[in-house]
Amino acid sequence: MSPKTRTSWLLIAPLLLLVVAGFILPIGYTMIKAVENPEVTAALPRTAMVLDQWDGKDLPPEAAFRALVEDIAGESNGMTFGAMTRRLNFELNGTRTILLQTRRKAASLEAPYSASLPAAIPEWGNPELWKLIKTNSSPVTASYLLRALDIEVSPEGTLERVPADRAIFIDLFTRTFWISIWVTLICAVLAYPTAYYISTLSDRAASYAMLLVLVPFWTSILVRTTAWFILLQTEGPINNALVGVGILQEPAQLIFTRFAVYVAMVHVLLPFQILPLYSVMKRQGPQYLRAAASLGAPPWRQFLSVYLPLTFPGVAAGAAMVFMLSVGFYVTPALVGGLQDQMVSYYIAFFTNQSINFGMVAALSLLLLAMTGTIIVIARRLIPNAGNSIQA
Amino acid sequence: MTMRILSVLTATAAKAVAMASASMARDLTIVGFGGGYQDSAREALFKGYQEATGTPVADDVYNGEMAKIYGMVQTGNVTYDAIMVEAPELVRGCEDGIFAKIDYSVINRDKFIEGATSECGIGGTGWGAAVFYDTVRHPEGPKTVADFFDVEKFPGKRSMRTGPKMTLEAALLADGVAKEDVYKVLATDEGVARAFVKLDTIKDQIVWWKSGAQPLQLVGSGEVDYAFGYTGRVIKANSEGSKYQLDWDTLFYSIDYWAVVEGSPMKDEAMKLINWITDEGPLRKQAAIWPISPANKAVNEDPEIQKANPGMVLNHSAEGLFINTEFWIEHGDELEAKFTAWAAQ
Repeated sequence: MSPKTRTSWLLIAPLLLLVVAGFILPIGYTMIKAVENPEVTAALPRTAMVLDQWDGKDLPPEAAFRALVEDIAGESNGMTFGAMTRRLNFELNGTRTILLQTRRKAASLEAPYSASLPAAIPEWGNPELWKLIKTNSSPVTASYLLRALDIEVSPEGTLERVPADRAIFIDLFTRTFWISIWVTLICAVLAYPTAYYISTLSDRAASYAMLLVLVPFWTSILVRTTAWFILLQTEGPINNALVGVGILQEPAQLIFTRFAVYVAMVHVLLPFQILPLYSVMKRQGPQYLRAAASLGAPPWRQFLSVYLPLTFPGVAAGAAMVFMLSVGFYVTPALVGGLQDQMVSYYIAFFTNQSINFGMVAALSLLLLAMTGTIIVIARRLIPNAGNSIQA
Repeated sequence: MTMRILSVLTATAAKAVAMASASMARDLTIVGFGGGYQDSAREALFKGYQEATGTPVADDVYNGEMAKIYGMVQTGNVTYDAIMVEAPELVRGCEDGIFAKIDYSVINRDKFIEGATSECGIGGTGWGAAVFYDTVRHPEGPKTVADFFDVEKFPGKRSMRTGPKMTLEAALLADGVAKEDVYKVLATDEGVARAFVKLDTIKDQIVWWKSGAQPLQLVGSGEVDYAFGYTGRVIKANSEGSKYQLDWDTLFYSIDYWAVVEGSPMKDEAMKLINWITDEGPLRKQAAIWPISPANKAVNEDPEIQKANPGMVLNHSAEGLFINTEFWIEHGDELEAKFTAWAAQ
């Protein structure tokens, strides 16, 4: 390596480290977490080994029963046992109780275990439970990713749709993207005239106007969301004013609705659309519009054929930013939305802090990332000019 | 050029290492959920321990987010020593090795009420949620869970905690299931369906809350008429002038535990600390400044303290329903999914 190359490497080293440490490693780690499946093998190593040889028909041989009793009664598995019970309970609700009962009785059981174990806990006479253990003894699993798409793996290993009374994730993803698309559209419609107006002002006036855009931008999201909470509540200022003026007979339900989510999210995200638009519009000299006018184009034609295409990269850049930020929104819908308005991150938080199921956290995050990426790529293909949005 | 960049990098690295090792020498740290409870605990318990033993104690606040604790233990950078946790998190954390096994040669097991000691935690304080309403707006309100579900007798908006926990139990109680059978019924698919059918009858009237401050804000502002709220906060609001009626027959309660984080560099000291702060003497001092409901038998059963603080949750066990920890560990995920699917309908 020449000294020059070495210097260039050193110069980009901080950025490279940042990208690897802040981007590639976490995403790689998330990918692994979404598919790794170590719990059952760690807690039941002997059972996993015996069941590996089992054909999966009827009940497994005595060796499997003995291995299971030894694994569960053994001293070494104190810490891995809990993780294994929760892992299997995730696949088949109720398994945790069976395993906890088995642990309580394991020490007092006597050979042959294929008779004494089902006698003590009848569920072990059911091949399904054994198949469940066998299926989940493999080092990787697709069940988190599948569950995040409302698909379950049955004990036999076949794929089934999650029953409607528990199927939530498809709905959740659809809702997340639906809300995000609307927020993006509303932001674009509101930001375009605003940015245009600011770009026509004198430098001095424009800097004051920009301040109005930026001050809320610098305020914490939590503070702004809480402010909307107070404004929109039933006995809040907006309802009081509407009732006072006589527009409404009695206060309307504004808070805890989809409407409140849109209002608060648009308010939080609007600057992300205004700023890139303004910077693009500011650079457009009047000469193009004058040229169009001199060629006889009426104002609407000047706008549609000249100004809009010229400023579209600003719309696309802002919209991409607003959309990607909305997809991950958590605090705002949690505070001002109802239960029907929660987005994917609500569930990511649930699995992180309450259910403590990092497999599901990783699966939901990965799917969200993949779907958002896909939508952005499709949008860039479909919308002309959006491809140059980065240069804008 | 290259040499200079290298020397800057080395200096930065050296500084980072020095800072990391400086953070090792810290005070014994105890962490709770904050609020008025923790303010009183700081005065009576944490400072008391510091004075009694000469060991400096610092306290911090967290929201019960377990991901943080798991992160600490897994990366080996444990900055919390003793910590307050809810019952289901204690069981799971213990199974996952996030919390250290309690050293019962240091901690006196006999001072606790029954069921308040476990492998990885000792009972700190009882907590509960019950129906309350503003008597200024409503002189009469729901006295039982069945009343809370009765929109004919008590029309108006209701507020409940987001999620299936306490919600499904309440629905079954309102539907006539006996207290001792609630979890048996809820363990069956028919029982869960029955709970949701009952919830359907008030679905349009429910505002769901997420944080403990919300029900007070909702009832206080008139946004809702009747709400389930944490009893400690309601009693505190009354002591500050609110006129809330609280009905103990609608109580759901549980215990928060003290635990020691695995891998804490001050594990032994943390054990001594949580033993000291669950002793009778310090808890009496705390009871004088805050309506606590400790799991210490002597304090909990003291008639003087009971008289001064009628809101001690653990003294209302006859009226309330004890939230079944093991049930929620097993059924929590499935019922959360069913709850979400139901809510979206």
